[in-house]
Amino acid sequence: MVNIISKKAYKSLSVKLSFFLILLSTASFSLWSDPFFKASDSTIEIISESKTMNAGDELLVGLQLKLNPGWHTYWKNPGDAGEGASITWSLPEGIKASEILWPGPETIPVEPLMTFGYEDKITLLTNINASETAVFPAILEAQVSWYTCKDICVPQEANLDLTIKGGDKRDTSFANQLSNILLDLPTNLLNKHRVEVLDNSYYLQMELKDNTSINSAYFFPEEYGLSSYSKKQISEINNNSLSLQIPNSEVNLQLQEFAGVLLLNGQNSKQFFNISLNLDNERQAETLSLKDLVFTILFAFIGGLILNVMPCVFPILSIKILSFVEQSEGSSRKMIQHGLSFSAGVLVTFLSIAGLLLLLKSGGESIGWGYQLQSPLMVTLLIYLFVAIGITFMSNLILGGQLAQLGNFTQGYSDITGSFLTGVLAVIVASPCTAPFMGSAVGIALLQPGFSTVAIFISLGMGFAAPYLLLSFYPSLLRVLPKPGAWMETMKQFMAFPMWGSALWLTWVLSGQVETDTVLMVLLGALLIALSLWLLDKNQSSEGFTKWVAVSIATLLLGFALWLAPTDYENTTDDSSSGVDSYTPELLEELLAKDQPVFLNFTADWCVTCKVNEAIVLNQTSVKNALRSKNIVYLKADWTRKDAVIADKLAEYGRTGVPLYLLFSPEGVPTILPELLTEDILLSYINEIK
Amino acid sequence: MQYFLTLFILIFFQFSHANVQTEQIAPDFNLLNSYGEEVSLSEFKGQTVILEWTNHGCPFVAKHYKTKNMQNTQAEAKKANVIWLSIISSAPGTQGFVGDREANELTKLRSAVPSHVLLDSKGLVGKSYGAKTTPHMYLIDKFGILKYQGAIDDAGGRGFMFKDLSEAKNYILSALDELKKGKKITDSATKPYGCSVKYSS
Repeated sequence: MVNIISKKAYKSLSVKLSFFLILLSTASFSLWSDPFFKASDSTIEIISESKTMNAGDELLVGLQLKLNPGWHTYWKNPGDAGEGASITWSLPEGIKASEILWPGPETIPVEPLMTFGYEDKITLLTNINASETAVFPAILEAQVSWYTCKDICVPQEANLDLTIKGGDKRDTSFANQLSNILLDLPTNLLNKHRVEVLDNSYYLQMELKDNTSINSAYFFPEEYGLSSYSKKQISEINNNSLSLQIPNSEVNLQLQEFAGVLLLNGQNSKQFFNISLNLDNERQAETLSLKDLVFTILFAFIGGLILNVMPCVFPILSIKILSFVEQSEGSSRKMIQHGLSFSAGVLVTFLSIAGLLLLLKSGGESIGWGYQLQSPLMVTLLIYLFVAIGITFMSNLILGGQLAQLGNFTQGYSDITGSFLTGVLAVIVASPCTAPFMGSAVGIALLQPGFSTVAIFISLGMGFAAPYLLLSFYPSLLRVLPKPGAWMETMKQFMAFPMWGSALWLTWVLSGQVETDTVLMVLLGALLIALSLWLLDKNQSSEGFTKWVAVSIATLLLGFALWLAPTDYENTTDDSSSGVDSYTPELLEELLAKDQPVFLNFTADWCVTCKVNEAIVLNQTSVKNALRSKNIVYLKADWTRKDAVIADKLAEYGRTGVPLYLLFSPEGVPTILPELLTEDILLSYINEIK
Repeated sequence: MQYFLTLFILIFFQFSHANVQTEQIAPDFNLLNSYGEEVSLSEFKGQTVILEWTNHGCPFVAKHYKTKNMQNTQAEAKKANVIWLSIISSAPGTQGFVGDREANELTKLRSAVPSHVLLDSKGLVGKSYGAKTTPHMYLIDKFGILKYQGAIDDAGGRGFMFKDLSEAKNYILSALDELKKGKKITDSATKPYGCSVKYSS
């Protein structure tokens, strides 16, 4: 069973034309229905700027495809599905054909997918190059295959030829049309532009001329695995720059090049530009040299040692020492077993954390060690926890919490298992407050291949466990420690202070994340917890109704404390901790009157360019240091909520929007910095300040 | 404990919101096969599974079946005790949508040897895997981890219709081979090529 689709023969320029389907799959055909084929009808024609040329000339040739309404064909990168046209030339000696010169495509959504291609009519240009040895007349043969698609795709093929005679080039009626198409091809982008990778998106940014009428942009990637085809791109035009947010590809192939075609939509115009940028894969692992690795592992060991004296580890250390003290009457062999068991617990926990981090890393998410401290809720819960532990240390209260009962908890097991579990718990309890100290080592570890990560974590664990191991192997050192007795109660009470110290430190962390009012609420919560525990402690020995009332009130107070905890991310006031003041005209005037150099950043939360500049330039340590070393005051004018005072200042510099970066010299002379900041640009401006 | 809780929440979040990525857990599904029986991915735990998105009306798929390339790949997989699931995500009324009988006729006519032909006319499974084209292939190992996604071979690209598929590099067969030898899969994600999956939009 064979279906023949409608044929059209094109006689112009002695073109032989044929359509046929390559696939005559007998099985499939009975299920195909005819209207699709008729509707898929398209015509193809070969046209040239001249029918004559001389050896040494170049000739512009076009394959013109006309599609029925509703049908489309594809660009060189078809997007999610489909395939671009291909031309195979058979040419006489001395004549060569260029690759297809692809016109800029359109987006053709096929929900939920996205394809790139052309509708109605498209001309694929090819440059024909005749060398000095070319002989005329010459017959240029092209075997063309393409797809026309609507809901379905139909593959098509045509053999076309074109005879070119010798002689000077003389324009045909197509010459004008062809040279116009040539002019509309994507050209290299001359405006300054760059691409940044942030949060699963690319940010393509370019400078615009002042009087541009561009209102949106779209990026067509050249290769698969770079950016998502179907996700929405968001363009933003500022005063004289453009930001285009392009979501990462669902399947990220870690391409080194950001290449494709950028469409700029103007009021009545469309312009296409070629873009090819190297992706700075700074985020990609830079493998450490062996020497560096050894050094890092050593550093990790020392880091592990230091962990022992961190506020939230120190109490654990004390508890562990207490149990060592209790057991010091045992044999030295048993002592060593305890030490080894504890160390094993520490190591296993560090390895588990390494494993989990590697797992997360393989999921494509880069996470930091202290990320749990980025959540105000988590920080608050930790504050409550440390306050509660401190209170129980001070009182005679025994809480069900494993942490407070670490000693009791581990006693439930055989001694050796107990030591192992103590090791495990010590690491878990340690993790929150070791974050700021261990951040860098862990950061390095996570950028390394799995093997190095594991090695670094093992070294961390060894350092952490080293003091205990040392004590267990040389029990003589233990004799320096006092004998168990009443002092233990004193020591327990004393240990409340490092606990409260940890809570204090966490409160400081929290104050960088939330409003002052919220910090107050959290402190009130801590007070309620203290009250609740005091109630429980007082009524430990009461019975019946009294006890019931006490427990109820205590529970209520606890619940109220938890209710006070910040539930969600509040607007973080991260700038307050980095020493950035808010702009007011008075403050600026005052600073300039003191011959103080000032860097003024006009920004807004909704301004993508501003946020990108802040992330990749302004928040960099090198920039902060440079500002500090030149004694430049950093002021921020936040225009997130429109503000007449800031708008006036913007207008002073002829701007109606953000970003705007001003650098005032000590003489009070402002310099307007480019909208697309880079570290180098900014540093060079900063360095000019005396 | 909070620390671990956070980690687990993060991991869960990670998996539930991620697109299907190679080396991650392949989403489970439950579909009716062409005999009206329920088939789920999880029932094949312990076995390697290949998913093939297909649409018999698509010229790309048709070429792979006409040249026996697809059937040969299926046969190789069968020999290695690999489960082969051909999935049709065409919505009713679109190209490639078939009922049970047609599906079985097609299998017979084309001498195809999939373990099951699964009907996903709502497109939910297709979308959960991000299947874009027919054919679009996925390889899942015996632990339920996605090891390969993309094209069946490297014949894609312009001029596909002229290409001799027997000369192409079959990504599925080489991935199966590497998986068997316990090696890392060289090409674990490639550009799928073919017709768009005819989802209901």
